[in-house]
Amino acid sequence: MSLGFIIRRILGAIPLLLGISVILFVIIQLAPGGPLDMYAENPSVSKEALAQIAARYGLDQPVPVQYFMWLKAIVVGDWGYSIRTGRPVLDEILLRLGPTLQLGGLAMIISLIIAVPVGMISAARRGSKLDGTVTVLSFAGISTPVFWLALLLQLLFSVQLGWLPSAGYQSIGDGSFLDRLRYIIMPASVLSLATVASWSRFIRSGMIDVLNQDYIRTAYAKGRGEKAVLFLHALRNAMIPAVTVIAVDFVTIISGAVITETVFAWPGIGRLFMESMNGRDYPMLMGLMMMGSLAIVAANIIADFCYAALDPRIRYD
Amino acid sequence: MNTKLSRRVLLQGILATTTALATMRAFPAMAQQSGGTLNVGLTYELDTMNTYSTGFLADAQHTVIEGLIAPDKDARYVPVLAKEVPTLDNGGIVLSDDGSKMTITYHLQENVKWHDGEPFTSADVKFTWEAVKDPAFIAESKDGTQDIDSIDLPDDYTVVCNYNTVKPNFASTLFTFGIMPKHLLEGTDLNTSSYNETPVGTGPFKVAEFVRGQYVVLDKNTDYWRTAENGDALPYLDRLVFRIVTDSNTLLTQLQSGELDMAVSVPYGRASQLEGVEGLEIIVGPQLSWGHLDFNFRNELLADVNVRKAVAHAINRETLIRVQGGFPIAIKSLVLPIFDLYDDATPEYAYDPAAANALLDDAGYARGGDGIREKDGKRLSFAFVIQSGRADDENVQQVIIAQLKEIGIEATADNKAGVAYREARYNGGYDLIYGRWITSADPVYSTFYGSEGENNGQGYSNPELDVVFARLENTLDAEERKAAASEMQRIIAEDLPAIALTQGVSVIAKPVELKNFVPNPTNMTNFVDTKEWYLEG
Repeated sequence: MSLGFIIRRILGAIPLLLGISVILFVIIQLAPGGPLDMYAENPSVSKEALAQIAARYGLDQPVPVQYFMWLKAIVVGDWGYSIRTGRPVLDEILLRLGPTLQLGGLAMIISLIIAVPVGMISAARRGSKLDGTVTVLSFAGISTPVFWLALLLQLLFSVQLGWLPSAGYQSIGDGSFLDRLRYIIMPASVLSLATVASWSRFIRSGMIDVLNQDYIRTAYAKGRGEKAVLFLHALRNAMIPAVTVIAVDFVTIISGAVITETVFAWPGIGRLFMESMNGRDYPMLMGLMMMGSLAIVAANIIADFCYAALDPRIRYD
Repeated sequence: MNTKLSRRVLLQGILATTTALATMRAFPAMAQQSGGTLNVGLTYELDTMNTYSTGFLADAQHTVIEGLIAPDKDARYVPVLAKEVPTLDNGGIVLSDDGSKMTITYHLQENVKWHDGEPFTSADVKFTWEAVKDPAFIAESKDGTQDIDSIDLPDDYTVVCNYNTVKPNFASTLFTFGIMPKHLLEGTDLNTSSYNETPVGTGPFKVAEFVRGQYVVLDKNTDYWRTAENGDALPYLDRLVFRIVTDSNTLLTQLQSGELDMAVSVPYGRASQLEGVEGLEIIVGPQLSWGHLDFNFRNELLADVNVRKAVAHAINRETLIRVQGGFPIAIKSLVLPIFDLYDDATPEYAYDPAAANALLDDAGYARGGDGIREKDGKRLSFAFVIQSGRADDENVQQVIIAQLKEIGIEATADNKAGVAYREARYNGGYDLIYGRWITSADPVYSTFYGSEGENNGQGYSNPELDVVFARLENTLDAEERKAAASEMQRIIAEDLPAIALTQGVSVIAKPVELKNFVPNPTNMTNFVDTKEWYLEG
């Protein structure tokens, strides 16, 4: 993997991001409603006042002009101001990024801890009752709606048992590690459900492929135990196809936390996105979506690099 | 060792019992109890703590800052930082000789301190006017700032506002919403000031912590300037916490689990879920909002008063209320019954399809083959606009469409989103339109039904009504206003530019122990007067 490849790969992402930004801008403009919706029922906000507000945010300009105004600002590092809060878009995003990374990070760790062994055991015992059970549970996990599971957990652990807070980020005036753990455990579990299910399937199929290889048979023939074969010989290679999925899924976890964050009143990016969408806060939506696109493109590049690092046979020119 | 310990335990026990007894003895003498935290759920994102900047209601903000006057539970103004509400009678309002301008004098409370201990004076009031008026300040509403030419401050506790017009509804703007501290904000950029996160006010609660996206903690202002009638220090509550919980399922869960004590905007459809939750009670409070069906007068069929009257007779408000969870209240006048200007003698169109049919028959609209009436080849078929995506409004629309069909009028749903809805409303891009208005405690009705009304998109013009509006909106004489308002309600009810259908309500969940809470219907929110709230038991 040469430096030239890395630079080419990163430069190649620029036109991609530009294209994405045009599409996002058009989609936002096509969506029904606009940033001035919140004044719809308030008769004291007059036509003139609405026109003034529109002019202040450039909403009175034609869409292409608005796009280039936005692009110009982004290039010089100005992400604009939220129409809803009047605060800089970048400040708002950075404020919400921390909680989201914590939630997504923990969800990812939970997913890996469960998915890797489950996938491996499932592969090693394929066709068994255990494998069948795991398969059924995986599909159940993939198809369970997040809000339903969240509600169920909240009712069980918060209303019935009173063990965990049903929503929020931390207690007022506390914020210790243990306190935050109590708040994060439910949303992180809910968020990891779908990924646990899909990753264990990926690792299972990767493992099955690898277990059929000659070198595994050789390892067994040499008298190595099952654990050693699975963990030392098979896992690394079985992980290769899963890495790309995991890298891209991490971004999905973060950008897909919209429902989880809203349901659990988690002060993260997902909820900010939801609020901005409800308020048709164009500058904030563009900022968030560009951030998301940037993360997905970056995750793909990183996945490529990881892929190359894990598998020495893969070479890029 | 054991003996020693036992003795200590015994002593402690005696001490504790004595204290408990003493406290118990003290309680009956106290009218209210001090202390306690109230956790309130907010269903919207708290965007700023500056009441002049927020696009939402300022629930949390109004516990911190105070205005010169404020609307009470009946939407009547009462004094707060001003000693009395200025009127013509008490000399607080003086008209110019030609009656075209007015001067309003506020006499301020003298013992008021800002949360940082500085005294509150007339300079703060003038500063607030200047700050909100400043074009550089992005405010949600600058209403009322342009009506004042200048402000004189004869002394620290007198404010004289020189108006360039006569404005009977002066109270629903500007100084009512809150006064800002000059000593902290002069020379700062209000758009980016830390005041927007931790405002300093004169109110019963101080901002202790505002965490964006999570909560705002408000602590008791131990130096609050007002005391209870029995001499108690106010406020009674130690702490108010507003937690942001935008998901209505979670809001309900938190009320059930006890993490939240109170929510002031429970969705209509969910209120029944809270019945039977221990320690909670549901209160329904009025709200200054009303649902209305408007006609477009550019459509000559709708310009016929007989058609409008027939529509009025065809709508059954009880059904409209039922599809909205049973919560809204039927109304007959566009002036809500809570206002002093409401006239109960306003004519009413009872639900009476037979009368509606008779009206249309007499006016020559005969039913065609498909049951829809027509006259001179023109069918009574109308495009019916509402703002799309609002479940309650969509239900109302469906009911009205069905009820109109019964009398041979066809209404076709033509729902529009956001900007398109407002465009249609302002420019008359509809035949029938249903919507809701939310107003302040002192609405200006000419904006809706005056020939030049800002919100009159229906092309309605009635010179007789314009004269009445001019009388109503340019006089400060209470009797004259009342008479003009009655006249206005009668004309509108008879000429029917719009049909007033239902008044909105707020569904509030509160702890049974919370006392002295009274719902406030105005845009100043239920939290405009929290000083005497207390938790019993």
